[in-house]
Amino acid sequence: MQAEDPKLDISTFLITSVHDMKNSMGVMMAYLQDALTERNSLPPATRDKTTQALYEAQRVTDHLLQLLALYKIDQEFYPFDPQDHPLADLAQEALARVMDLADLKGISLDCHCPDELYGWIDHELVFGVLVQALHNALRYAHGQVLLSLAGGDDGIRISVEDDGPGYPDFLLAQGDGRTRGISFETGSTGLGLYFAGVVAALHRNGQRAGRIRLVNGGTLGGGVFTLELP
Amino acid sequence: MLGKAPPDLSRKHFLIVEDYEGMRGILRDILGRAGATRIAFASSGQEAVAQLERHSYDVVLCDLHLGQGLNGQQVLEEARHRQLLPPHAVWLMVSAEKTAEMVAGTVESRPDDYLIKPITETLLFTRLARQMARKQALAPIEQAMRDREYLKALNLTEAQLANANPHAWDLKRLKADLALHTGNHAHAREVYQEALAQRDLPWAHLGLAKIHYLEGDFEEARQELEKVTRGNRAYLEAHDWLARSLDRLGDLDAAQNVLTRALTTSPRAPLRQGHLGEVAYKRGDLDTATRAFRRHVDLARQTPLKAPDPYLWLSRASLAKGDKEEALGILSELSRDLREDGTARLLARAMEIPVRFHTGEREQAARLAVELAGELKGQAPDLPAEALLDLAGPLMSLGEKGTAESLLTSLVGNHHDHPEYVERAKAVFAQAGLAAEGRDLVDRTTRAAVDIMNQGVKLAREGRLDEAINLTREARERMPNNPRLLLNHAYLLIAWMEKYGRDISTAMEARHCIEAARRLKPGDKRGGELLTKLELVGNDFTA
Repeated sequence: MQAEDPKLDISTFLITSVHDMKNSMGVMMAYLQDALTERNSLPPATRDKTTQALYEAQRVTDHLLQLLALYKIDQEFYPFDPQDHPLADLAQEALARVMDLADLKGISLDCHCPDELYGWIDHELVFGVLVQALHNALRYAHGQVLLSLAGGDDGIRISVEDDGPGYPDFLLAQGDGRTRGISFETGSTGLGLYFAGVVAALHRNGQRAGRIRLVNGGTLGGGVFTLELP
Repeated sequence: MLGKAPPDLSRKHFLIVEDYEGMRGILRDILGRAGATRIAFASSGQEAVAQLERHSYDVVLCDLHLGQGLNGQQVLEEARHRQLLPPHAVWLMVSAEKTAEMVAGTVESRPDDYLIKPITETLLFTRLARQMARKQALAPIEQAMRDREYLKALNLTEAQLANANPHAWDLKRLKADLALHTGNHAHAREVYQEALAQRDLPWAHLGLAKIHYLEGDFEEARQELEKVTRGNRAYLEAHDWLARSLDRLGDLDAAQNVLTRALTTSPRAPLRQGHLGEVAYKRGDLDTATRAFRRHVDLARQTPLKAPDPYLWLSRASLAKGDKEEALGILSELSRDLREDGTARLLARAMEIPVRFHTGEREQAARLAVELAGELKGQAPDLPAEALLDLAGPLMSLGEKGTAESLLTSLVGNHHDHPEYVERAKAVFAQAGLAAEGRDLVDRTTRAAVDIMNQGVKLAREGRLDEAINLTREARERMPNNPRLLLNHAYLLIAWMEKYGRDISTAMEARHCIEAARRLKPGDKRGGELLTKLELVGNDFTA
């Protein structure tokens, strides 16, 4: 009997390593969260540094999750599962993930979402995009970040706005994020936007597909990230 | 809007299934913050099953990966299969990533929701609140289904759908599945098509495909399923139905590819492994067949799905490959693993006959044949068709013609309208140079089966229901696995109750027949229709 030939190319190692790294990050985050449970008894400097470390750990984890999801989508086995989902829950879950960081940075985090708003989303993917957008906004905001969710006849619109300097021109020019914008000077790998673009495009209704938009201005005068899903 | 209060969990019973102690503590603390006090723990799949057997839980939080032994998926499937959960119970699967089984498996394998790590308090509470409300609303429907009151379940579903409802999509899916189950294909088709007009939903395509398949339109089923499977191998149940359709269309190569593709995504699925084994066996790909049957046996061993079939297939395929040791070894495993099952024990011994016979141990085969002749004759109607065919040829050659004849009579009696088995039965006789005798036996047995059914219908039409029922009841003894006969018998029992009133033991006999027929022909339309009729007999609500 011929043994199955295991295809051990570099992508196999990359994927198993990503899994392994993600698990380690999980353990690390659990320790950091443990350390923060008694946050008020910690010296302020320690508390802030631990919160910052937790944020960085979350950022890495989010990136690893995005890589895994992109790999599965590319290899045609991502279990894409759009459901008619209450968006207030989605917003609440996403805000909970970034609240500590906002507190730490002294940024006020607001949310507009009608209570009875539903939208067809693959929860894990859209959650990933949303947390990434919030992290990004918190990174550049001076003092305010606003998450707003709205619905209409043609689908739903999820926006994250900040009062920072806005997106640089090269990103604005890039449009839908699926054209890669790797820039070692700015430290942007382009992963987050690329992921958002792929997730948007997977959400379809008839002939229409979702999309992302980047503009500057909005109600807070900084960057505005918008995910539109049909 | 961030101030949404956590759900009140103080009166709920929780079971946390988690092998990692640190995580058990984290989950307990989060639940505690919403007032939960009644929290039980299990650190392995086996322990979880034991807890579920003893207690009734409102919520189960279960990690997908549980180290050695059963994983969370298997625990969930066993809990569903054995109805270890109350109808309103919520099952949340905790996992590092979203898996195909959780999302696109069968009803039994889908948790109510899944939580992707890291688990935060907010995530757990929003999901719990939503799923507890959903399961509470759906519980009466679930209860009706457990009581096998499908029309009542359908009515409850429609009633809930009449008002604006946060669970509308669950209800629509449930409504279609119920209609399908009760043989109302037109109604089910309507719901699936309406859903598809709004969204391109994989489950609605799958539903339409099932209807095509059950109505014998395998090509249309294939086309519908490929809309789901094309470009995504995560939709597992759709792959299973696609393989079935391709199998029926005679495209075995494609069927094997589809199953292999689904197994790459989800290898721990015993039934899928078994189907791959059968397709590969038919193609003569014995290496793949033996590997797949071996996996089927090993995966099913510790589950309630454990049954003789995969053991017999592995023995058969190993014998075909010339691997005598494995062919015999798996039979000992069968008698050990299913020692409490008399039929399985008999099969384990009897299937040694073809193995010995085909590997040149005629004498041992002959000894066994003599030894088991009585038992085989007695239990022949209950033995699987493939096993009867495996045994009949060698028995004939070994001079046990009487036993062979009674095995083949049972085969034809149970499958009189199954052309393939009928032909293979004739071939056994032809092989022994008794072609005419074989034709005669087949004709006689087939005619007897058809006559009984016609006679039953005729008597019923003349109003002589008792006589008709006695006739089919007596025939059932000889042909306990003939789906047509079982359904005819059930039909007569129901007609009797329509005339004389509902009667518990008659209703139970009818239900038993319908369910046995449906195990033999899953999803059979007439069986579904009879379930509906049975439910209506003597009930005062109207459908």
